[in-house]
Amino acid sequence: MNSSARPLSTSVSCADPEAWRQARPGSAAFELHGAGVVYSGRAALAEASLVVDPGEALALVGPSGAGKTTLLRLLNASIAPTTGSVCVDYRRLDALDAAALRAVRARIGFVHQDLALIPNYRVLANVVAGSLGRMSFAASVRAMLFPRGADVERAAAILERVGIGEKLYQRTDSLSGGQRQRVALARALYQEPSALLLDEPVSSVDPARARDLVDLVADISRERGLTLVVSIHDIELARTFFPRLVGLRGGRIVFDGPTASIGARDLAALYSLDGLERVEPARIA
Amino acid sequence: MLSIVVAGFAAWLTLDAPLAKLVPQEGGLRIAREFFARAVTPALDYESPVPESTPHILIQALAAARRTLVFAAAGMSLALVLGIVLGFFATSAWWAGESSGGTSPLRRALARTVGPAVWTVSRVLIVVMRSVHELLWAVLFLAAFGLNTGGAVAAIAIPYGGTLAKIYSEMIEEAPRDAALALRGAGAGPVQVFFFALVPRAGPDLAAYTFYRFECAVRSAAVLGFFGFPTLGYAIAQSFENLHYGEVWTYMYALILLVVAIEVWSGALRRRFVA
Repeated sequence: MNSSARPLSTSVSCADPEAWRQARPGSAAFELHGAGVVYSGRAALAEASLVVDPGEALALVGPSGAGKTTLLRLLNASIAPTTGSVCVDYRRLDALDAAALRAVRARIGFVHQDLALIPNYRVLANVVAGSLGRMSFAASVRAMLFPRGADVERAAAILERVGIGEKLYQRTDSLSGGQRQRVALARALYQEPSALLLDEPVSSVDPARARDLVDLVADISRERGLTLVVSIHDIELARTFFPRLVGLRGGRIVFDGPTASIGARDLAALYSLDGLERVEPARIA
Repeated sequence: MLSIVVAGFAAWLTLDAPLAKLVPQEGGLRIAREFFARAVTPALDYESPVPESTPHILIQALAAARRTLVFAAAGMSLALVLGIVLGFFATSAWWAGESSGGTSPLRRALARTVGPAVWTVSRVLIVVMRSVHELLWAVLFLAAFGLNTGGAVAAIAIPYGGTLAKIYSEMIEEAPRDAALALRGAGAGPVQVFFFALVPRAGPDLAAYTFYRFECAVRSAAVLGFFGFPTLGYAIAQSFENLHYGEVWTYMYALILLVVAIEVWSGALRRRFVA
């Protein structure tokens, strides 16, 4: 398949003020309409159009610097597009005030490439920090300093689910890289999100662990009906676990479709040497 | 760096080689010898008759050390509140990164003006508080209120609050922003981001610096005794005036012990919570 972005859904317009009321509570929907992002004069993303349906799982693939992280940050409203628009749950983000924007962010779990944990916190505090977006300042002081029994139990259950239940009271910087990554995932899940966004989750761990982690994330997303968007440069992993692939290169979406329809030629084009500083030919099927 | 060296040379020339004057006269040398000779034999009793009711000198030294600690703790706790509040307003990290995406033009205009205005006012306030030394504040409060305990506490709290605010805000600005961005991305507000991501990220440095300033506060409280506040400095000044060098050393050792005790305590706390 060599098509560009697939046609935008017309049944629910992003700008439709009523459509979002029918949004499924458990899974988020995302739309990009010709979204572009310019960082200090350089276009990190250009003319990106994409529709992610509730509960869908897709992988963003492409070489580093292709715009994968920028696209993810648009989806959780961390940055605003320079051109075009972004919709989450059928609402345009640029129409929302600061409080509504916070509410949108609070529903989207984001696992950063550098994990962005607080090393001198206990694991419990890092996980509970995921819920700050839903709390007043007074409530968050209480939750962070004196977590209630129910909060501790919920954090423990999530840590159990991601495979590090016994680490609840350990200091975060005493854990291995793979364990810390699971803490970051647990923090995102503690948000009770309707979507999970993961930025290059396999870049910091060895291949076997990477596979386990992607497997775990895909499982959890299915189990909870979460919309899942993962940026990943390992094509084999992407093909194994995601039914839909979106290829990015030089800030543009170059292909978007069901995994089975993405051929070797698409991937070769994605990682070809022209104009790229870094390529990974070995990963191309 | 170079400009500091140049300024240093200029200062030396202006002051006409001050070190040459440190070679003491015959009389001065004798007093210095006498004074330092007593370092190994601090007084274990008063060197002149005292009234019956006066407690033993070691009890007296301990009591003065305790009062020094109380003054320092009172000043420091007030300084801590000032430092945290002003440090918060003098830090741009929690509002400067706030995404303007989707907020109304009015809010954006407010964010552009109010944030920097509050920041500037706090910075100026901090400079004013810091630029006057605690001893000068003490003189000022003595003139205004007389020998008043509150004056001594405020004399420590004001410059220390300013210094804490300055250093806190600098440490927080320089701490990694990754966790702050992550929590903001999870919907946390700027105040939550400040206290639960920026401050903890700088936590170990903040704690170490606060302990160091507490030590400084103990020394300042001791020196405030020279103005008549009942700390170790008061006892030292009195004994010095009476040429009771042994007693001076007894009180000096009490001060050194106090500082060492704080060092040991802060070290233990740091090992437990930070390392």
